[in-house]
Amino acid sequence: MSVSTADITPGVAAEAAPAKRWNWGTIGFALVIVILCLVPFILVMVISLGEKIEGADWRWSLSLSNYQRFFVGANPEDVSFLYLQRLWYSFYYAVIASLLAVATAFPFVYLMTRQSRRAQTIWLVFLLSSVSLSEVFVVMGWDILLSNRSGLPMVFKETGLTDWLKEVGWFQQLRDWGLANPRNVRFKPSEFATIITLAYLVWPYAVILLYPALARLDNSTLEAARTMGARPLTVVRTVVLPSVRLPLLGAVLLLFVFLMGAYVAITVFAHPAKHTVAVSVYEAVRGATLNAPFGAAQAIVLLVVAGAFLVAAMWLSRLAERRAA
Amino acid sequence: MANLTLQRVSKSFGRFTAVEPTDLTFRHGELTALLGPSGCGKTTLLRMIAGLEMPSSGRLMLGDDDITTRPAHLRKFGMVFQSFALFPHLSVAENVAYSLKISGVGRAEREETAARLLDMVQLSPFATRRIGELSGGQRQRVAIARALAQEPDVFLLDEPMSALDAKLREDMQVELRLLQQRLGITTIVVTHDQREAMTMADQIVVMSQGRAEQIGPPQEIYNRPANAFVASFIGRANFLDGQVQSGQVQVPGTTLSLDAPASFLDGAPVSVAIRPEKAWLDGDMPDGNRLEAKITFVRDVGPTRDIYLETPAGALIVEYAIGENARDFHVGESLQVHLPPGALHVFPRDSDRAAA
Repeated sequence: MSVSTADITPGVAAEAAPAKRWNWGTIGFALVIVILCLVPFILVMVISLGEKIEGADWRWSLSLSNYQRFFVGANPEDVSFLYLQRLWYSFYYAVIASLLAVATAFPFVYLMTRQSRRAQTIWLVFLLSSVSLSEVFVVMGWDILLSNRSGLPMVFKETGLTDWLKEVGWFQQLRDWGLANPRNVRFKPSEFATIITLAYLVWPYAVILLYPALARLDNSTLEAARTMGARPLTVVRTVVLPSVRLPLLGAVLLLFVFLMGAYVAITVFAHPAKHTVAVSVYEAVRGATLNAPFGAAQAIVLLVVAGAFLVAAMWLSRLAERRAA
Repeated sequence: MANLTLQRVSKSFGRFTAVEPTDLTFRHGELTALLGPSGCGKTTLLRMIAGLEMPSSGRLMLGDDDITTRPAHLRKFGMVFQSFALFPHLSVAENVAYSLKISGVGRAEREETAARLLDMVQLSPFATRRIGELSGGQRQRVAIARALAQEPDVFLLDEPMSALDAKLREDMQVELRLLQQRLGITTIVVTHDQREAMTMADQIVVMSQGRAEQIGPPQEIYNRPANAFVASFIGRANFLDGQVQSGQVQVPGTTLSLDAPASFLDGAPVSVAIRPEKAWLDGDMPDGNRLEAKITFVRDVGPTRDIYLETPAGALIVEYAIGENARDFHVGESLQVHLPPGALHVFPRDSDRAAA
């Protein structure tokens, strides 16, 4: 948000100066951007410097204590990395889920773009319409599917799959992974369920992000590879993947940043000890702890980390392009 | 080495028949041109040979091997695509060495082969360039070197000259033909350009509407077209409508005698074809086979001049070579045109010509 404002403001100056005349349209547009994006951002930043009054509201201040609390804990003698741990989980869930979504969307989109135009349209319309399902609705669905009493664990038990797993000895493996209690498989809470649901949430976006690149792929290069002895998987590995490297990276990044802010799925499926910054921001601002300045500070850290990843990835891809050129 | 043979090979897409059942033999070491207008099925035929399309019926044989169902990556026929289909993410040398790399050939041997092939197509200084930095002609040569790297049994080219400008195209036709003769590799070129086919091919297959209309060496096809379509598609031809009468052809204004009597029943409607360069306009032409004509247009095309004539039998174009004693022609001038009996081709009158 702040980046777009910075991009636009110099543009206004550059255009207005030679004309010696205010361009009211441009100024109005810049004002809207400033009011909509920059002002709330600055407000959150200022609030993050405020102080919580015990048993009451909070007051304006210029203290960095909220940031200190985030990185090393509120009490300097008793160092705690609780919130850094939450930041780690934000990062961990988002990375794995975005990678999983893109990795599973890629073969699907590749095969889809080999179909007829009509089949592609039907698939895209179907997937686009599924995007309209809210996060709450999707999470509810998975909640039912994975719930211990009525979901997959019940199916496992009733069909005898649980007993079979115990017989062949794989049940113990599931217990070691935290996916079973002594009696039956158990998916809630678990990192597994959290990541699956997050990946499912962004899967349609992954398809839509990858579709243009794969649809544009020159079919004759794939055929050329085949006439030179490349079997189908070799074609994917040596021609398709290298051709869509950047769109793949872009899709992972976008979904990663999006998932850094995921809230509902985390609260439903993740163990409370493994909650993310997004969850504790909500708790601080609207929830149990009611500490708006600390919530604001956490939000700022999350934003800066996400921004840093975007910049780093852009820099890396540019480096890769330059080395390739 | 083995010949490549097609036995009753056909291809349909739904109700549309792209290639009618076709028998063809591509002799080892020869260059065959599949020649025809767009949509005649020549590219489909080539793609079936490459293994990129499955024939709807018939068999493909490489020597004694039936390769009809063998997938493209096991046939390994080198193919040059119309768009060249080079890999933009690889350098020129890496493109050329691609087939070797995926078949597990070691780096040193790969680099040596790529260097040798790039030298052959005179692109050695460009080995480390990206594809985007090459001109159209250079790309074509990379595509040729890349297809030859795997030492294919059969070398396929789909309209390889269509992306090049006219001057470069003529040079590359000669260059490609010399390269093919040096390597002695069975080669099939798809083209819609009859000059290209005549320049390069040992054998031309003229195709129209999914059928092979005539198969033969270039000169035979040019001088003895099998039907009206071939006569009009290969080179230029004038067509006059007439009727057979005791071995001769009656056209409005005269009766044309032929070298060999026409093998048609008396009264059969026929088309008589004659190439523009075969008709005579000079004063000392032989008697007979003459038509009264009036000049309607004169087109100067450098070494020759096209004289457009209006005759009782219809419009006629005559190509007149401009030599030392060349005479002038003026629009509106009346004169006689002589159609030598040996230069006339008689075909049954049908609709094929309109399609050309």
